Formats: sequence, C-alpha cells, structure tokens
Amino acid sequence: MKTGNIRDYLYESPGPRTRKRIRIITGIALLGLLVLLGLIVLQFSVTGQFDAKYWSFFTKWTTWRFLGQGLLTTLEAALTGSAISFTLGFLLMRGKFQGKLIRGISTFLIEFTRGVPTLLFIYFFFLVVPKTGWKPSAFWKITLPCAISACGVVAEALRSGVNAVPGGQREAALSLGLSERRTFYRIVFPQAFRFVIPSLIAELVIVLKDTTFAYVVSCADLMQNAKVLISNYDAMLSIYLVVAVIYILINYLLNTLSERIAGSQRRGIQTIPGTNKGVAAHG
Amino acid sequence: MGFTDLLSKYGEQYFQALLTTWRLTAISFAGAFIIGILITVARVSPIRPLRIFGDIYVQIFRNIPGAALLILLVYALPYLQIVFSYDLCVTAATILIPSAFCSEHLMSGMNTISPGQIEAARSLGLTFLQMIRRIIIPQALRSSVLPLTNLLVATMLTTSLASQVPMRPRDLTGIVSYINTHDTGGVMAFVISAILYCLTAFVIGKAGSLVDRKVRILR
Amino acid sequence: MKHLIRTISVLTALLFAFSAFMTACAEEPQAVAIDKEAFDALIASGPVAGDDVIAASAWAAKVKEAGVLRVGGTRTSFLFSQLDETDNGLRGFDAGLYQLLAKYILGDQSKFELTQVTSSTRESVLTEDQVDAVFATYSITPSRQEVISFAGPYYTSRQAILIKAGNSEITGLESLAGKVVATQAGSTGPAILAEYAPEADVQEFEDDIQARTAVEQGRADAYVTDYTLILNSLVKNPGVYAIAGDVFGPEDNYGIGLPKDSDGVAFVNEFLKTIEADGTWAKLWQISLGDRTGLDTAPEAPAIAD
Repeated sequence: MKTGNIRDYLYESPGPRTRKRIRIITGIALLGLLVLLGLIVLQFSVTGQFDAKYWSFFTKWTTWRFLGQGLLTTLEAALTGSAISFTLGFLLMRGKFQGKLIRGISTFLIEFTRGVPTLLFIYFFFLVVPKTGWKPSAFWKITLPCAISACGVVAEALRSGVNAVPGGQREAALSLGLSERRTFYRIVFPQAFRFVIPSLIAELVIVLKDTTFAYVVSCADLMQNAKVLISNYDAMLSIYLVVAVIYILINYLLNTLSERIAGSQRRGIQTIPGTNKGVAAHG
Repeated sequence: MGFTDLLSKYGEQYFQALLTTWRLTAISFAGAFIIGILITVARVSPIRPLRIFGDIYVQIFRNIPGAALLILLVYALPYLQIVFSYDLCVTAATILIPSAFCSEHLMSGMNTISPGQIEAARSLGLTFLQMIRRIIIPQALRSSVLPLTNLLVATMLTTSLASQVPMRPRDLTGIVSYINTHDTGGVMAFVISAILYCLTAFVIGKAGSLVDRKVRILR
Repeated sequence: MKHLIRTISVLTALLFAFSAFMTACAEEPQAVAIDKEAFDALIASGPVAGDDVIAASAWAAKVKEAGVLRVGGTRTSFLFSQLDETDNGLRGFDAGLYQLLAKYILGDQSKFELTQVTSSTRESVLTEDQVDAVFATYSITPSRQEVISFAGPYYTSRQAILIKAGNSEITGLESLAGKVVATQAGSTGPAILAEYAPEADVQEFEDDIQARTAVEQGRADAYVTDYTLILNSLVKNPGVYAIAGDVFGPEDNYGIGLPKDSDGVAFVNEFLKTIEADGTWAKLWQISLGDRTGLDTAPEAPAIAD
C-alpha cells in the first residue's frame, strides 16, 4: 500500500526537455526573488533603517538578557494557560458524555469559547473584571483569558480523540467487569490522549500567539519588554522584526515537535495500556 | 450599564461594528482562500524555488503572532514607501495568516486523494496544470470543507485585530474597548459583542456542516 | 533539529555581525540618554523625613510599616520613567520623584515596587488599593478628582503641535481643521483637541512613538501632545520634525495620584515643598528634562494646591 505525500506522485522524473524548461523557470524565479529582496534591502537603507542607532544595541548582551526575561514570562504564560485550558477542556469534554442538562451546558460553553475572539476575553479581564472586586495580577489577566479561549477547542480535540478509540476496547473492558469510570480513565483516555497530543501542541502554539496581547494588560512579556527597548532606543522596526523572528522560530519548533509525534504515531507504535511496553504495529 | 441603555446609546455603533466584522471576515476569507490555493499549487509544483517559497510562506504566516504582523504592516511597510490605510493593514493581516492555514488544510485534503488517481491521470497524458485543475483541487476542496469552515470562524476571530489600530468604523472587539474606556460599559457591553460573535460562528458552523454533507466524498 | 539549531545560530551570528559592523562604521549618535551617574547621585542625596512626620500621616505610616512604596507608573516613558534594561534602573522625572519619595519615607530609594499602569487603570489601581501612589504624567482634572485625590502639581506643561519637518501646510491650531491629528489615547489630548481644534480628525494611539511614527510616515498630519515630549522628539531626531505654531492650551498640571481624601496628600505636598526648597526639584528637572530637551533654565516649580 503506497503511502505518503501526493507530491511524490504528481510527476515522474522529468525528461531532458522538461528538465531544461524547469531549469529556465527556476532561474527566472530565483532571479525574481533576489531582485525583490534587493529592492527591499535598498528601500530600507534609503529610509535609513540600517543606521547604527537602530541596531547597535543588539550587540549588548543586556539587550538579549532583557528579551530573554520577557520570553521566559511569555513561555510561562503560554504553558500555564495551556495547562489550565487542558483541565477546563477535559472537564467540558467529560460533560458532553453526561446527562442532558450537563451536556447542554458543556456544549454551550464550548461553542461560546470557540466563537469569541481571545482579544475580547482579554479586554473583559482587563476592563470589566477589576471593577467587580477581583483583582488578578497582570500575569493572570493574560493567562486566564487565553486559557478560557482555548479550552473549547481542546475539549473538542479530546472528544474526537476519545471517539477515535475503537469501541471494542470499551466493550472489552466493561465485559471484564471494570466500571465505566475505570474503563475511561485506565483504558480509553490514555489512548485518546495519545491521539490528540499533536493537536494539543498546536493549541499550545495558538495560546502562545495569543499571549502576545499581554501588552494590553501591561504584563511584562516579550512584547512588553520589546516596547521598553523601543522607547529606550527609539528603534521600532528593528526590534519588532527581531521579536517577530523569535516568535516564528519558537512556534516553528513547537509545530515541528507536534508533527514528529504525529508521525511516530502514524508509523504505528502503540503502547499496551497500563504498561510502558511498546508494540510495533504490523507493517 | 443595562442592556437597554447600552442598545439605545450604542445600538447604531454595534450594528456598524457587526457589519465591519462581517465585511472583514468575508473579504479576508476570500483573499485567504485564493492565496491559499496559489500557495498550495506552488508547494507541489516541480519548480524548486517555488516549493521552497511556498513552504517558507506557510511557516512564517502560521507561526507569526497576529499582533506582531499587524505592527510590522502598519509601521514597517512605510519604510518601504508603501503606506496602507489601517483598514488595508488589518485586512492584509487577516488574509495572510489564514491563507497559510488554508494551504495546510488543502495539503491534508490532497493527501486523501489516492495516488492511483494521479497515476491514471498521468498515463492519460494530462499535464500538471490540468491535473491540478480537474482532479486535485476539486477533491481536495470537497474533503476540506469542515476544516475550511473552522478556518472561516478562525478568520472571524482574527479580525479582532482591528481593535489594535485606530480603524473606523470599529469592529466588535474595538467597540467594547471604546465603551469601557469612555463610559461604563460593564459586563453587558462585552456580552453583546460575545453573543454577536457566537451567533455568527454558529451560523457559519451549521452552514459548513450542510455543505460538507452535500459535497463530502464517500470513500 | 540539528538543521534548525544551525539556522538559529547562523541567524544570531549574522545579527551580531551586522550590528557590530554598523556600529563600527557609523559614529555613536549623540547621547540623549540620561546622565545616569548624576541621576543616581541626586536621588541618593535626597532628604529623609523624620519619624514624627511619618507617624503624623496614616498614609505614610502604612507605607513605612509595609517597608515598600507601591507605585503605579510606567517603564516606557522616555523622559519621565524609563526602564534601562542594562542595569534595571528606572530613570526620568517621575521616576526621580517616586524614588525620592521612597527615600523620604523609608530611607532607601530602592524600596519601591512599580506596577505598570495605563490611562485606563490609573484610577482603579488607587481605588482598589493596589498601589500607594500613581506617578504617570497624571494630569489633574476635576472628573478624576471625583474618584481620587491629587498631590502637587509638581509640573506644568502646555500642548504643542508636532509636524513633519518641511510641512508648510500646518502653521498652527487653525490649520488643523480637516487634518488628521494624532494624539495619545487616555491623555488630555483628545479633550484639548475637542476644545481647540474641533474640526480636526483625531486618531488615538497607544503610545508616543507610534503617534510620532504615524506623523513621520504620513499617516497623520500632526501630533498634539505635551510640549516637553515634543522638544524631546526634536532633540532625539534632528531634522525630522518641527513645531507648528506656539504652545497652546490650558496649563496642564501633573499631579501625584493618591487614594481619595487620603492624608497622604498633605504628606506628599510637604515632601514636594521640601525638595523644591532645597533645589532637588530643579536639579532633577535639569537632569531628566532640561538636558534632554535643550533647555538650560529650570522653570519655577508650580504652586502646590492646598
């Protein structure tokens, strides 16, 4: 059974004429890209963006240390937010398997958190919550809204994972005399969880991107520290570019991790539930 | 502030905000969709620079935070002598980011097409572009209806970026911020916007399920 | 993974090399940075209140007992309170004042905790008792005085119009009609513009640098803000901006935010009078504002309202 990327099948090894044609088009495309890059660099230098004052502070290690501190807070917020959203998502997912009323409430909450933008939740925590008397710190004012916004998606991902576990597993467990509860927690959920790890990591990426709005609530994360540097050195573009690249790299790393894990699952490594032994699936 | 007070004072603005959000969502999704298809074609084309360009494009725009992209569009482009209006900047951001995800969904949709079809097409003598147009894209689209519906909802959520620049008219998120800083909006202001967002998402979801049921390819 | 680490290292190395190259090629720009040693020395030599003075004020006694002065302020106001990431120091006119106040009450200028505030949260942090005082270029207005109390004023300023150098269309307030005018959200800018240039199309920005960049890039025709901030922009970026017309608008009095009807008002006013009398205020002004806006003579400290 052939697997894999459709890219491999779209065309066979090209013959000499096609190879020549491809080389020509490749050459033109490369030239085009280089010209575009050259123009961008030219424009930036014409408008003075390559002046020393916009870049010299990057040679100071204190700049990087400061950015690093912001990055740490960002990661902290993202991880904490994800952890909270997993917990809430888990509860909501369980809710969908219960009786009518709880199922209705869970469904409503899931749709609500999926349908409302994170920024709106952030503004809610920023502008409305303090007036009610509860005064969370800036850290929680960004972490909680991001967590709430993500928990709906997490709930749905967990639910699809649970549904993907073969029904036979549950039936077998029940016929062996395990209670519903034990069946779920010892047999079904561990397998479900494994299925959804890639989507959960993808959700972590989304939460991380949402934390960039921490400047709205004045929390000292990477973006906010960037603003301090911008104000100190009067250099907006260079700093935002570097910060954007940092975010892209981190998210890229997380996504690659997620794909690795998904890939290893597709290759069929399954664990016997309850043990640490792995059994390679048949070919 | 009570519901009726809010409506009487800001009802008009809420309506404008709703239309703004809808408009941004529709235009951005259309743009993201078209660009998504183009990028996907680039990613499977035989021209290596295009494939690399497509892959890098997707990696950049699915991993960059919306706030960072918007700031770069608003403040970096003018140094390239390109000054977009705020509306255009927000639209650009809400097109670029979903376009990367659209391409990812289409690639997954493509992988559901059995390679046997491609081989059959090639043996029939179809060219690359013909294959794309007649075999790959139609099937990829039909398999991707649900993820694309989710993408439409995600695009709507991304339009909340409009609240971060002085864009007029405001969108549904911007208006909550405005009401709460210039007046005492309270929970109600937030709830109205939230409900409007949710209803839109709900309608989109239902419509998406309907379309999916109609065009889904049963294998 | 290896591939990625290699890419990251290459990128970082390139960035370093690029920055070093740029620095080597060009001259280090004229430092408009604050004179750190002078600032730190001035704060260190500030007055300390006697125990009886502190005991007489419930607000001050509370701060003394807590052992730390909780301040609401900012880290990104270049002239008034800017965080220097190289040594974690907060410097500026406002920063100098709250550090002097910390020294005044607690004997040690470093015993303060800064909570970042924005124009939307300046009042709520006081009413919710999250901070003891707010130093944030906080203009005294009657509507704010309904919710909190102000000590001072400790500084006054008026508004001015910043334009791009070479813009001959805008020559003063009247020519703002129909033009796009930037201002800072939450400041007194919007209200002042509504009164003095009602025909202007007002755009609110989150901070000073975004508003200035908007003018530089042509998104806005003018930027109306505090005269001192404008002077600083002119000094930091010679030839880029210009001032249109004269200073205008009412005397904008900056005060120190305190909880409503707190006796801290009298206490802080005493503190202000002390540092004004012994010349500390003038020296602070010179170091944080005068030197960076090209002015030599400190103005008269504003009369304290009490």
